[in-house]
Amino acid sequence: MSTGTAQRPVIRAIVGSLLAGALALGVAHALLGRAFENLATDTDDRSGIVALNALTAVVQSPQSSDDTLRRTVQGWQTRTSGITASRIVRIAGAELLASTAAHDSVEAEAPRRLERDEKPLFDMAQRLRSAVNLNRDEGAPRKNEIEVESLPKGGRSFSGPFVEDGEISGLVQVQSIDTAVPRRPSWWITLGLILMVVGCAVVPAFVFRRRSRVATWGAVGAGAIGLIAALTLHGSFATKALMEAQAQGDAAIAARARSQADAVSAVIPGDVATEDSLAPGAWDTDVYRRSRGRLTADATILPAPPMPSVFGKSLFLLFAFALVLLATTVLGGFHALGRALRDNRVAYAYILPAIVGMALLVYFPFVYGVVLSFTDSTLYNANQGVAETWIGLRNYADIIFDFNVFSHGDNGWVVNYSNFYWTLFFTIVWTITNVTIGVTVGLALALVLNIKNLWFKPLYRVVLILPWAVPNYITALVWKGMFHRQFGVINQVLEIFGRQPISWFDNPLSSFATALATNGWLSFPFMMVVSMGALQSIPEELYEAAEVDGASWRQRFFAITLPALRPALVPAIILSVIWTFNMFNVIYLVTGGEPSGATEILVTQAYKFAFERYRYGYAAAYSTIIFMILLVYGIFQNRVSRATEA
Amino acid sequence: MTPRLVLALAALTIAKASLAEDLVVWHAYRAEEKAALETIAAQYNATHASKGVTIKTLAVPFDALADKISAAVPRGRGADIFIYAQDRLGGWIETGNVIEPLDFFLDKATRARYLPLTLQAMTYRGTVYGLPVNFKVIALIYNKKLVPAPPKTTTELVAIAKKLTSKASGRFGLAYSYADFYYHAALMNGFGGRVFEAGPKAVIDNPQNIQSMDLLLQWIYTDKILPAEPSTALVTALFNEEKTGMVFSGPWFLSEISKSIDYGIAPLPLIDEAGGKPMRPWVTVEGAFIAAPCKNKDAAYEFIKYLTDASSAKVMAIKGRQTPANKEVYSDPSVASNPVLKAFKSQVDVSVPMPNIAEMSMMWSPVTIAIGSIVKRGATPKEALATAQKALTADMANLRRK
Repeated sequence: MSTGTAQRPVIRAIVGSLLAGALALGVAHALLGRAFENLATDTDDRSGIVALNALTAVVQSPQSSDDTLRRTVQGWQTRTSGITASRIVRIAGAELLASTAAHDSVEAEAPRRLERDEKPLFDMAQRLRSAVNLNRDEGAPRKNEIEVESLPKGGRSFSGPFVEDGEISGLVQVQSIDTAVPRRPSWWITLGLILMVVGCAVVPAFVFRRRSRVATWGAVGAGAIGLIAALTLHGSFATKALMEAQAQGDAAIAARARSQADAVSAVIPGDVATEDSLAPGAWDTDVYRRSRGRLTADATILPAPPMPSVFGKSLFLLFAFALVLLATTVLGGFHALGRALRDNRVAYAYILPAIVGMALLVYFPFVYGVVLSFTDSTLYNANQGVAETWIGLRNYADIIFDFNVFSHGDNGWVVNYSNFYWTLFFTIVWTITNVTIGVTVGLALALVLNIKNLWFKPLYRVVLILPWAVPNYITALVWKGMFHRQFGVINQVLEIFGRQPISWFDNPLSSFATALATNGWLSFPFMMVVSMGALQSIPEELYEAAEVDGASWRQRFFAITLPALRPALVPAIILSVIWTFNMFNVIYLVTGGEPSGATEILVTQAYKFAFERYRYGYAAAYSTIIFMILLVYGIFQNRVSRATEA
Repeated sequence: MTPRLVLALAALTIAKASLAEDLVVWHAYRAEEKAALETIAAQYNATHASKGVTIKTLAVPFDALADKISAAVPRGRGADIFIYAQDRLGGWIETGNVIEPLDFFLDKATRARYLPLTLQAMTYRGTVYGLPVNFKVIALIYNKKLVPAPPKTTTELVAIAKKLTSKASGRFGLAYSYADFYYHAALMNGFGGRVFEAGPKAVIDNPQNIQSMDLLLQWIYTDKILPAEPSTALVTALFNEEKTGMVFSGPWFLSEISKSIDYGIAPLPLIDEAGGKPMRPWVTVEGAFIAAPCKNKDAAYEFIKYLTDASSAKVMAIKGRQTPANKEVYSDPSVASNPVLKAFKSQVDVSVPMPNIAEMSMMWSPVTIAIGSIVKRGATPKEALATAQKALTADMANLRRK
């Protein structure tokens, strides 16, 4: 073994552990930085909201009339630090009741009507009013009752409802400058921890450098231990620092609340400043105007709740990614990848456009759908991020563990047609029956058309392919019309023969039959065309030899025709199963799931969850399950038939 | 030229270029209604040329319009103005950044010029989001040859219908898509029934709804005046073949009536079974909405205000054959003398705006299943509506679950 190869594990251990350590600790560092920034923003928000709630208490005290309002607001603002402007807007008459903004005190003094470019202020007042009413009606907070906006010139505005005579009549707004400065996580700690990971990985690689396998796996193992240790250490530093920062924030808010209490009692005459209006601790609310529970009524800080882990679930994910990176580098994965890319440069260049296209049009929507399936995304929260609506596997659990397929009603047992397992059962029955019909009819017709010297063969061929050429939603609508109870052609034929007309869509079985007939009509031409092509390629001599040997018609079919058709038919059947499984048009247009959703297949059910019930996350989970079923089916089918090699 | 002058000129050019902008209007109008809208837009462009704003209309197929709006508008890539019925209003407002609220622009005089109910249809949680353009409502359309005098009450209706009905030759006195909940709503509202209460809370199984179903069953099975499985296509065919004398349908039905038939339109009858209260159909109102990301909302508002004023409404009514939401136009002699417009106008006075809350789209599936099993006597109205109530309540709870 030469020295060159002996050095390789050491070099790879250095590179791999450096990459993995940099990834894990770099991301941890960034997350901590974000957490500090969020805390600072949060403190600014709380400070602004305390001021807003204090001002609201001032302007809603019974003493203030419209005339004194502006003076009161002005008085409050001079006693409050960090507030650049305050406004009060009344919705009725679109009136600006008071404003301390520089522009309004010089050029357009309040009270006055709002100007056209101030429409957002008016709309916001209406939005707040409807948010408060909506939260009250629904009995749970859904919409913000305090809106926080970043201002283009820096700073933030906080707006809350303005109440007169028990009714929300407008908004109160304060604009503040940002004061809280976020801490910065220490780079020294992060760098030190990265070096620790590198050290862990390099030591075994160097010690066992003459025994390549031991060195490699030793580096991976020790690197993993180093990663765990470094991330744990970083986590404990981070928790401590964040606790400190939070305590500082709480202290700042408590001080703010107390100073606001002084400001309020200075502006409102003493006899009005009751206990009720002077509970500064209660001013520390969230955007739904619920107390944050960090301060008592007189603004004493309550003991901090246990700090939630900074990184939560992401910590494990981070470790997993870093470990994969480490192992891939040390075991030579990147080396091999690089060589493959270099050796097959031209091939990769050719498929690059396809890869890019697939990534944009297929993989991205697919991944997005899967991510969506872990959220509680609905119409009402579709604008929120994934993190806020994340519910883990609940959608899947709701679908898979709902075994309420049969229930006992007044008239005996009833099938719960909206249950997943019923729909799955129906979808499977639907697929099997359809493919059977398609293959049988298609193959039979192909055999007939394959008869030599058949008259008008091209004509038959065209006629039989026609159903395939008509867009399938038109065919579906035509068939639906034919099954109409009173005026459909099928019932009219039945009546000619003296039978009672049938209400096709009243009964799951007959409703299923309508869809089956429609889809059978749509699917046999494909099977016929596939079989016809394959039949042409069977050498005539085989049949001649068989005939000479005295083989019967049946023996010839099963010993020659079917085996020869297999390579063409099997892929066609696999495709056809997948098409039928997801045959949205026929079910949606012909039966529409009637009666009561009994003939719904999985895709139409997913569609209804998404676009009739607006449960996007749930529908995404449903779709992902459909994908899983088809994936398992595809793998299984490939194994069994080796269709890909045929 | 000094550099300063060049700069000033350049600035002027840019300012002018940004003034001359297009406002794009998306709509799903076809044929005459499309021509009417285009006429109004052309008039506006001619008379308001000095303001530097040009209105451009773009017709989008009806099936595609809602999805197009939902997909493009919130991302700032859609139209500035769009015309759509109120049924999607709640959903779009809950999504956010689709529709601009209009209360700030709306003055008293403008508010007063619409039929109150049409403005109500444009209102969501106390805020007006659009200006009503046209409304659509069902009324009684009858064949003058078969029904010389339209019935005023349900008793008269049944009496006339019974005379015209003959099962053997496939004739029915009355035909309408009663298994479609939209059509049934006229009876339901007439009895004082409803689907939602404030909250919103589902109340499908309330006693009034059950009563309205009982009356429908009586018409189908006791009086036998209605055909089975009445699709809209069937209703049209029956009316054109003179196999039915009376139809409950809306303005869309008129264009399907064959030329040879002399028809009249009258308000839906009073319900004797509900103490003589009128049938109150759901009204759908097409509103002009301003897209929330629109850059020039003032100009957009000026246009939709123009689009819904009395003179534009007259173009809509006469040229577009629509029923405008502007009430002033009905005192115009050329509109007042039009029997079709007059009939729909008197129908809308006793109607109910179709709810515009987002939950409406969840309602259709359970109530359609319920009414389907009721009219086929698969379940009693009470059972079927209770099942629908349970399903809708569960769906609504799932939507709000945290």
